[in-house]
Amino acid sequence: MTVSGLKLWLLAAAASVALNAAASAQTVKIGMVNSLTGPHASFDLPAAEGVQMAFDEINKKGGITVKGKKYTFTLVSEDAQSKPELAVSGAQKLLRDDDIKVVFGILTSGPGMPAATLFGKSDILYFGGFTLLDTLLGKPGFELAFRTLDADSVVSKSFVPTSVKELGVKKVGILLPNEDVSRSIVAAYKPLLEGAGVTVPIVEYFQPDTSDFAPVLRKFQNMELDGLLTGTNDAMVEAIVRQSTELGNLPKKFLYRGGSGAPGIKYSKQIDGFVWQILTRDLDYASENKVKEWIERYKAFTKKDMSPNTYWALTFYDTVFMMAKAMEQVGSVTDLKAIAASIKGMRYDGVRTMRFDKDGRAQADIDIGILKDGKISSVRAPFE
Amino acid sequence: MLLDIAQTAVDGLMVGGLYATVAVGVTLVFGIMGILNFAHGQMVMLGAYVAFYSVTTGLGFWPGLALAALSMALFGLILERLIFRHTLTDHMAGLTVSLGIIMVVEHLASAVFTPDHRTFDPPLAGSVRFAGMTLSAQRLLVLALVLLLVGAFYLFLQRTRFGKAIRAMGQNRTGAALVGVQITHVTAAVFAIGSAMAGAAGALYGSLFAITPYMAAAPLMKGLILTVLGGLGSVPGAVAAGFLLGLAESFGSRYLSASFRDGYGFVLMIVALLYFPTGLFGVRGTARV
Repeated sequence: MTVSGLKLWLLAAAASVALNAAASAQTVKIGMVNSLTGPHASFDLPAAEGVQMAFDEINKKGGITVKGKKYTFTLVSEDAQSKPELAVSGAQKLLRDDDIKVVFGILTSGPGMPAATLFGKSDILYFGGFTLLDTLLGKPGFELAFRTLDADSVVSKSFVPTSVKELGVKKVGILLPNEDVSRSIVAAYKPLLEGAGVTVPIVEYFQPDTSDFAPVLRKFQNMELDGLLTGTNDAMVEAIVRQSTELGNLPKKFLYRGGSGAPGIKYSKQIDGFVWQILTRDLDYASENKVKEWIERYKAFTKKDMSPNTYWALTFYDTVFMMAKAMEQVGSVTDLKAIAASIKGMRYDGVRTMRFDKDGRAQADIDIGILKDGKISSVRAPFE
Repeated sequence: MLLDIAQTAVDGLMVGGLYATVAVGVTLVFGIMGILNFAHGQMVMLGAYVAFYSVTTGLGFWPGLALAALSMALFGLILERLIFRHTLTDHMAGLTVSLGIIMVVEHLASAVFTPDHRTFDPPLAGSVRFAGMTLSAQRLLVLALVLLLVGAFYLFLQRTRFGKAIRAMGQNRTGAALVGVQITHVTAAVFAIGSAMAGAAGALYGSLFAITPYMAAAPLMKGLILTVLGGLGSVPGAVAAGFLLGLAESFGSRYLSASFRDGYGFVLMIVALLYFPTGLFGVRGTARV
C-alpha cells in the first residue's frame, strides 16, 4: 500500500469510527473505487477524500433519518491503480459484497468505462466523474448512473463566450490528445467558437502520452493564430505552453479545457492570456464564505494543504449530501430507483449549486479561471 | 518549406540525442552482462527527480546533472552488487528481477514524490534564431551535452585501458578473463557507468519535459528499440539509432500524424531489421561495445 493509499485507509477508518459512535444507528455500506495510485491519482485521490469527508460530516451529525430510524454510513474503498483491469477487479470485489448498492468514484475514462459498465449491469447506484460516462447515461441499463461533473456540452456554453471575450481571440487552433474524449470536445467547442466569430483553421490530435510537442506544434506555426484551445490535463498543457513559448511564432493565448491554472500561471510572463475551467470551485481565490469554510474543513479532515488538484475533492462532495437527502425523502436506503429519481428531481445548494437531468448528467455552476495582463481572477458561470 | 524541414530535422536530432543517451546505458549492460535491464528506465526517472530537487532547493541545474549521474551510478552499483551479480548465469532471472525492480521503484517513487507531475526551470529559457530557424535554447543545450557525453564515453571506450577491458568483455567474457581482465570489477563498473548515463539522461529529460513516477516507460521502450535497432551491445549503433528514431518521430509527427508518434520507431525497427537482421551495427553471434 502506498502512502496515499494508507492515508485514505486511515481516513476511511476515521470515518468508520465516527460512524460507530452512533452505536444504535444502522449502517449503510458505500463502495468506492478510485485510482488512489498511478498517474490518475492526482484527480481521484482528492475526489475520494471529498467522498470520505462528506460521509464523515454526515456521520458526525448522527447520520440520516429514514422512517424514524437512524442510519450512518460505512465505506469500503478499492484502488483502481489507474488501470482499467484493476478498476474492474476493484468493482467486482465491491459487487461481491451484497450490502454494497451504492458506489462513488473514478474521474478518468480509461478505468471508468469498464467499471461503470459493470455497475450498470449490476443495478448499482453509481456516481462517477469521467467524461465518457456521458456516452452511457440515458441508455438502457444506466438509469442508476450519474455523472457529477458537467458535460462538455454544458461547460462549453459558458466557457467559450467567456474565453473569447476575455482573451479577445479571433483565430484559434485546437490541439488535443488522440482520445474519444477529444472528439467530443471538438464537437462541442468548435461550433461554439465559430458561432462567436472565431476562425478555427486547424485541429490536430497527438499521441496521449506525448511529452515532446515540438513537431506537432510546428504545424501551428506561421498560421497567424492568436489562440490555442488545448487539454486535457495539467502535465500536457504545461508542456504545450512551455514548448510553444520556446518554439516561437505560436499563439500566446490559451484556452484550457479542464485542469487548473497552474500551467498558464507558471509561464505568465511569457504568455498573453490563459483561461481554464474549474469544474467545481475556485479554491485558490475563493471569496465565498461557504467555500472558505469548506477549505478549512478539508484541511482539518485530510491534514493536507491545498494543491492545484484539491478542487477535484468537490467532485462528489455535494452529491453525497444529495444522495443522503434523497434517502430521507423517499424513506428508504435500498430503493435505488426511488433514490435515483429523487436525486434527479432535486436542486441542491451546497458548496456547488447543482442538479441532475433526467439521464443523470450534472448541471452545475462552474468557475472559470482567467489569467490576463499578469492578473488572475475567476468568474462564476451559472448553469441556467 | 526547406526551412521547415531543417527545423524539423533539428528538433528530431535534439530529442534523438536524449534517446541515444538512454540506449547507450541499456546496450552497454546488455553487451557485457547479457541482461536487458528493464529497470534502466527507472534510473532515468530517478535521475530526473534528483535534478528536480537540486534545482528547486537552489543547488542549480549543473550540480543537479552531476548529482543525478553520480547518484544513479551508486544506485546501479548497489543493484549490481546485491542483485544482478547473482543472476549473471541466468539471463531470464536477470530479466525477471529487473521487471520486479520496475514495480518496486515506481511504487516507492509514487509514494515518496506523489503522482503529480513536476517541472523545473532549465538553465536556458526561450528560443534562439539560427539561419532563419527558431529553435529552443534548452533543447540546443541538451543536444550539445548529449553529444559531449556520448562522444566522451566513446573515446573512453576506445582509448582507455579500462575501456578496452570493457570491449574485450563484450567480445568474449572468458577470453577477457584469461588475459587478465578483472571480470567482477569491470561488470560493476559497466553497471555504474550505464546507470550514470541513465541518471544524466534523466536530468536532461527533466529539463525539457514533465517528471512523474510513471515517466520511465517511454524512455525505456525507446531505449530497448534502439538497442535492437542499433545492434545488441553496440554503442555506436545505439547512438546512430537514437538520432534516427528522433528524426523518424519528428518528421512523422510533423508531416504525417502526431497520433502515431511512438509507432514510427517500431516501423523503423521492423524495416531496419528486415535488411539488417542483427541491427545497424550488430555482428551476428557477438556483442560489440
